[in-house]
Amino acid sequence: MSMEVEYLIEQLQKKAERGELLYIGESLNRVDDIEKILGKPIYTADILPKQTLYAKLVHSTIPHGYIRSINAANALNNSKVKAVLTYKDVPGINESSAVIPDRPLFADRKVRSTGDIVAAVLANDFRAATEASQDIKIEYDPLKPIFDPLEAMKEGAPLIHDAGNVAKHMKVYKGDVQKGFEASDIIVEGTYSTQFQDATPMEPELAYAVPKENGNILIVGSMQSPHITQSGVAKALNLPLSRVEVIQAVTGGAFGPKSDETPTDLGAIAAIGALKTGRPVFVNMTREDSMIMHTKRHPSITKLKTGATADGKLIASQAEMIMETGAYASLGVLVIVRAMFHANGAYEIPNVKNDGYLVYTNNTFAGSFRGFGAPQAFFASESQMDELAKKLNMDPLDLRLINMLRPGKRTSTNQLMDAACGLPECVEQVVAASNYRKKVKEYAEQKGNTRRGVGIAILHHGNALGPEGNDYVYVHLNVDRDGIVYLGTGLTEYGTGAISGLAQIASSIMGCKLDRFRIDRPNSLKHKESGPTVASRTTAIGGNGARDAAEKLRDRLNTVAAKLLDCMTSEVVIVDDIAYSSSAPQKRVGWNEIVDEAYRSGVSLNTIGYYMAPRCIWDEHTGLGSPYSQFTFGAAVADVEVDIDTGVYSVRSYYVAFDVGRAVNPRNVKGQLYGGTVQGLGYATMEELVHKDGRVLNPNLKDYYIPTSLDIPEEFVPIIVEKGGAIGPFGAKVVAEPPIVLPGPAVRNAILNATGWSVDSLPITAEKVWREGHK
Amino acid sequence: MKDILLEFKVNGQPKKVYVDPNDRLLDVLRDYLDIKSPKEGCGTGDCGLCTVTLDGKPVLSCLTFAFQARGKEVTTVEGLGNGKELSPMQQALRDAGAAQCGFCTPAMEIMVTDLLKRVDNPTDSQIKEQISGTLCRCTGYYPIVEAVKKIKEEER
Ligand code: FES
Ligand code: FES
Repeated sequence: MSMEVEYLIEQLQKKAERGELLYIGESLNRVDDIEKILGKPIYTADILPKQTLYAKLVHSTIPHGYIRSINAANALNNSKVKAVLTYKDVPGINESSAVIPDRPLFADRKVRSTGDIVAAVLANDFRAATEASQDIKIEYDPLKPIFDPLEAMKEGAPLIHDAGNVAKHMKVYKGDVQKGFEASDIIVEGTYSTQFQDATPMEPELAYAVPKENGNILIVGSMQSPHITQSGVAKALNLPLSRVEVIQAVTGGAFGPKSDETPTDLGAIAAIGALKTGRPVFVNMTREDSMIMHTKRHPSITKLKTGATADGKLIASQAEMIMETGAYASLGVLVIVRAMFHANGAYEIPNVKNDGYLVYTNNTFAGSFRGFGAPQAFFASESQMDELAKKLNMDPLDLRLINMLRPGKRTSTNQLMDAACGLPECVEQVVAASNYRKKVKEYAEQKGNTRRGVGIAILHHGNALGPEGNDYVYVHLNVDRDGIVYLGTGLTEYGTGAISGLAQIASSIMGCKLDRFRIDRPNSLKHKESGPTVASRTTAIGGNGARDAAEKLRDRLNTVAAKLLDCMTSEVVIVDDIAYSSSAPQKRVGWNEIVDEAYRSGVSLNTIGYYMAPRCIWDEHTGLGSPYSQFTFGAAVADVEVDIDTGVYSVRSYYVAFDVGRAVNPRNVKGQLYGGTVQGLGYATMEELVHKDGRVLNPNLKDYYIPTSLDIPEEFVPIIVEKGGAIGPFGAKVVAEPPIVLPGPAVRNAILNATGWSVDSLPITAEKVWREGHK
Repeated sequence: MKDILLEFKVNGQPKKVYVDPNDRLLDVLRDYLDIKSPKEGCGTGDCGLCTVTLDGKPVLSCLTFAFQARGKEVTTVEGLGNGKELSPMQQALRDAGAAQCGFCTPAMEIMVTDLLKRVDNPTDSQIKEQISGTLCRCTGYYPIVEAVKKIKEEER
């Protein structure tokens, strides 16, 4: 045997002794990034069919009111304009809403925000469509709008939806919070607020539709969940699902809003236009359109009260969070659930009372965004921990060490932490890497106008869908005659590398090289529905589907290889494209020989893997129980420098440790730690989508700042901790979402440490810091 | 009215197209010449994803009128390598995991190529300065900086 094969076999054996497979835990290159790097035409706008019409969406100009009339005559006079679509053109049900049916596709009777879509203009090119969109005259009878969620909750407030302005009230009640506070030596109270954040995927939402000769409609677009788009489009067009083929094009970032209503809006409008005109229709979204019309992160106001003993033991925590969802509920009804499950931080607290309210206003709507309620929840709870530490005259780290979740401790919902709770390791490692203790001492001595400070924040993050839906997945694997392996699933790739991770898992199990894998474009007719691609569930849940499919194929490959090697099936080892018998390793057959033989002897190398996560049991009324099958844990330390004369500050260093269970591909895990953290630093320090009188004031990248390369900390240390979880393949836990959560509180606490000033509202601008210090 | 004759070179090839005075260089490249690597992330000059080089200098093709390219030479990612295999610069990006969603990657490549033409061993801050007008929402920029430093190490 060649040295290389010897080496691989040795590696395999070593890993097998640890119960692992060859490629698991290796930073292999992705299988699907070469085309991206070569600049190939693979994104939606790159692959438009010939003769495509361009659609420009027209959104409401007022935040609340009745539509009196829509007059498109002038626009239609333009020879380049082919059609104007409104609610009257919807053949099926005029609805596009994620959970509660509260949102029409095209506004019909009423508009509830300036993001509501009223019409679409179809023209030969986008410039003509945009120009003609100015000629559509819409008359409204305005209603009194309401932009403050607290006002909206008041008795007698104008109703935005007939069912009332509170879309959901979520509770977590444990123990007796009143008694807890009575027994406390120290109580702290505070109010913490957060802003609208825009996800800003670099590619806005886009989709085109093509009418097919057989009467089907094909939709291609930038999206997270093709099957959700399929069912939304089928409903709006009154078509059976089998006639709606939705393909996810390579997608230029997503972060949440591409799993909500917008891809359905675009797909349905393109499809209606395509059927009406008989031509392909492309619904283009400019950056401004996207920032006005897609879902954002919910602003929140959280009143938090914490009680503790004099030596720092937490006894009671009470949270009341008002989450503003804007005009429609979207995924907010589930965002508020996750927020309430995590509202008291990663601590064991015997008495808890959490009330979360999802409240309508006439601002543009909020929905899914990386973190899904956790950034708001942890900003409040982790900020308050530092206030408590201050009152107790205790280091914030020590207060956390006393109370944080460890194996044997229980969460706010009473869920028991087992050995898979890696929070202590995360804290230990991030404290060591950041020199936290030494810095605290050093920084305490500072005088002068420039002050450094360190802040810590920790979290737990319930994995995957948990209470948010049925967590199942299908993964298709098909080995073709040339030995190429096609991996297909309804889950999608939009930048994380998670789908490549599925290939890595499958190749490890099947024993063939990773570069044999090709990723099928997710297709609603070809691949089985696998739930939405959200909640970072691709590796933890999807990985099990890939594993199941690969194991099925592996059994067949072993049988075929045994025949070729003339040995027992149980003796077959296939590794890195080469098969041999463990009893006679000299004789070898290659991957293609096995595949050839399988085809010749009629053994199918085409299969579907399936996985369904165990049901999570919790009580709807009290919120108690075990809503998640496993948790990710994390800890971060931010080191900031503040100019106390101006409030201008910068994050100099950032250290983060995450317990991701098992890093299937450590480089891609770090990619999420980097990217999630920087998006979280944007949220913490600069990003705010501002509404005034219901209108978005800064729907562009000139006035809405996201971090550039000059805004990132000079030093960034990402640390991976691995405490295998219960359900993910090889113990893998979710990783894409949690890193965005910690920068808010870590930066806030670092500024507190540097200056003694508490900024309790995000984003933490220099002005807020200065005001806090000059009250 | 497409009545302006535009003669220029794209990735070494002479091109002749009739354009509208309002056409942006970005539209001419993408829609007329089928060169899709420059991306539109904003159309207002704020994201940098439409960056190409014009006579060797990086420009935002969404803010450049097509006719401004008359008689000049435009380079896009399609012209950086042989179109099939990755160049060493591209391989370094791949090995660092610098292309996540990939939407910013072509523009990053143009900016990185421009930097390496002028500076032999760029420092972290020179690299960050160079890509500061090119937004990336996925990577947090760290893998890109790491990749650029690797390219020079390999050549040394
Ligand atoms: S598209 Fe040109 S700068 Fe954004
Ligand atoms: S890789 Fe997605 S924007 Fe840079």
